[in-house]
Amino acid sequence: MAAAKTRTSSFSRNISAAAPSQGPGLKCGPNGTVFLSSGISDLDKILGGGFPLGSLVMVMEDAEAPHHMLLLRNFMSQGLVHNQPLLYASPAIDPRGFLGTLPSPAASKDEKSHKHDPDQEKGLRIAWQYKKYFGESQLNFDGQRDGKHEYSNEFDLRKPLERHFLSAQRVDCVSIQDSPNLSALQDRSATFLSQYPRNDGSISCAGRIAIQSFSAPQCAYSNMEWDMLSFIRSLKSMVRSSNAVALITFPPSLLSPSFCKRWQHMADTLLSVKAIPDEDKELSQLLTGYQDMVGFLNVHKVARINTQVPVILDATTFSIKLQKRRFLVLECLNQAPVDGSSGTSYGTSGSCSGSSKTGNLDF
Amino acid sequence: MAESICRALRDGALEGEHAPALTIKDSIASPFGFHVFCHVLSQLSSFILAGKSQSGGLVVVSFSRSPSFYLELLKNKGIDVVSSDKRIQILDCYSDPLGWKDRLIEAGNFTALSHEASNSSTANVLKDVKHMDKLYNSIVERGKGLIGGGKNRFSVAIDSVDEMSRHASTSSVAGLLSNLRSHDQVSSIFWLLHSDLHEARVAAVLEYLSSMVTSLEPLHQPANGHRGDLENLSLIEHNLKKGKFHVRIKRRNGRVRVMSEEVHIEQSGISFTSLSSEGAINQGLVPKVQFSLELSEKERIDRANVVLPFEHQGNGKPIQIYDGRRSLADSKHERQVAATEKVQTNEDSGGGEIIYFRDSDDEMPDSDEDPDDDLDI
Repeated sequence: MAAAKTRTSSFSRNISAAAPSQGPGLKCGPNGTVFLSSGISDLDKILGGGFPLGSLVMVMEDAEAPHHMLLLRNFMSQGLVHNQPLLYASPAIDPRGFLGTLPSPAASKDEKSHKHDPDQEKGLRIAWQYKKYFGESQLNFDGQRDGKHEYSNEFDLRKPLERHFLSAQRVDCVSIQDSPNLSALQDRSATFLSQYPRNDGSISCAGRIAIQSFSAPQCAYSNMEWDMLSFIRSLKSMVRSSNAVALITFPPSLLSPSFCKRWQHMADTLLSVKAIPDEDKELSQLLTGYQDMVGFLNVHKVARINTQVPVILDATTFSIKLQKRRFLVLECLNQAPVDGSSGTSYGTSGSCSGSSKTGNLDF
Repeated sequence: MAESICRALRDGALEGEHAPALTIKDSIASPFGFHVFCHVLSQLSSFILAGKSQSGGLVVVSFSRSPSFYLELLKNKGIDVVSSDKRIQILDCYSDPLGWKDRLIEAGNFTALSHEASNSSTANVLKDVKHMDKLYNSIVERGKGLIGGGKNRFSVAIDSVDEMSRHASTSSVAGLLSNLRSHDQVSSIFWLLHSDLHEARVAAVLEYLSSMVTSLEPLHQPANGHRGDLENLSLIEHNLKKGKFHVRIKRRNGRVRVMSEEVHIEQSGISFTSLSSEGAINQGLVPKVQFSLELSEKERIDRANVVLPFEHQGNGKPIQIYDGRRSLADSKHERQVAATEKVQTNEDSGGGEIIYFRDSDDEMPDSDEDPDDDLDI
């Protein structure tokens, strides 16, 4: 893999062989973790490589916006494209129908994002006094992106995934609406995860579990809060000992506050999505690119397995944009240029020191 | 805006999408929910009968009012239900929701009462509302009966979700509503909720399930809780005639449109006007923003156009060393207060320029230690 392994601590795991080639779907990271892609390359970068195998990712939904579906779709499509089997559970009566909305990888690779990695600028221009005495020596960095492209694809949300990816061996669907308790889902998850046990050998295959709207009100078990919590706990421990990643989305507004906090603590990686008001003059003055934004994504917690060093991100709130209505990108929030004549804007934006929303999203 | 809500219900659902669902929420402080419900009901009925809407029929599930009330209401609006091609059906869950009359008759405790002269063609008495799936089946059956099969769709109006929640658990009510929303033949659905009759979770659940939420709030909050105060009495009286009508619409692209209006209750009905005073609707959602350190395309091109010092040497022209005191060509570049950091370039007829301000002009020129001596711009 092209990613450089930097030693961030003096304790580093002894990996006997050079990174075994596990195929494009998995990537080695520091401290012996193996990542798989979330399907959104920006999110992989933010999280430091992707979702580590064995982690539980939880996404807090916003009742007013369907952005968690974008995350779910990209996650599921990425797994199918990389031949990683998928278990999908949803409160719909026919979960298979959702598979028809999964996006397909974008065909053309010249749809690169405009953001350059600043370290890899081609032809760094240096104003050097003695340059005139030497010949032109071009330093051209070859974009080391070819390896990366395979790991994480750009998904075109307008193009549905080809049928052959959705064959029954790779995708298993469960409907959780009518089951009175969670034992059925627990059994299905256990059998699914038993196929990908973790041992010290090389990883043959990784699996993905996606559970949508876990505490949706139409599910019969949705008021059994302790049962749901114990399901999450047992799923987390099963996932930890297998080569899989589980993604659960849930609406926090429908849970009691204490349980909401408990669920947030259960997660290894915790994200939340937020809707933004339409035609809000204050926000459009505060942020650049407000017109293109469809929502916010907050990263509350990044999984750190095998290490005690926490990740401190520069920014935890990102805007979700759909480029050309097809490609999901996450961008840092940037302050709009302030008109020099009005000196008051810094006063009104003084509240930007806190993180985005209060209440049960504070972590 | 009440019109936009009615329009959204009229336009219905797109293919493969859940039907738009409206929650009308009120409380004791501003109890106009039922007026709003009737308004929406009559608007939608007139759209349906005029053929302007996606749905071909309407099923009214009446829990809190008798069917004859709705017949009267629609007649007053000029809609004659009986003769209107059977486009509107009323499912009567009001007269005998738990089937007591039949059980009493069976038990032989009294002789059968004469039935009210109900329009049996439009009303259908449901005797078992405890089981949500039976209710679901009845609604769907009535709807299909209205419109026939095929691609046609029907709308559903639920009088009061409060009554439904009395008889069944929240999750089964939620299941019923979400199944109706995802049914292929349902075009739109709306319901009324009195929020102070329930725990907060029920209102949260219904808001989660709906795509539009309207809530009614009093215009003036009484200053303190003393009801007996004369001022408060007049305020309360005021609140019984007027109110604020807030709407939150979840748009397809994931943004939320927030609107507000004033609502007046008059003898003739209900009317909506725009808010007299501007209310602050902002959420206080100000995330941590950063300054942009990226360059846009235009800025990148400009930066590429700058000729760096020493780059132009060796071109055959004489080399001039800049000592910082001569002023360069006038810069049109305004110093902006914003902290968008750019390399100091200036768009100046195709070429970029470097603007250099010497640290201090006091120093004697040509001093030995002058590090800027060999600057070449």
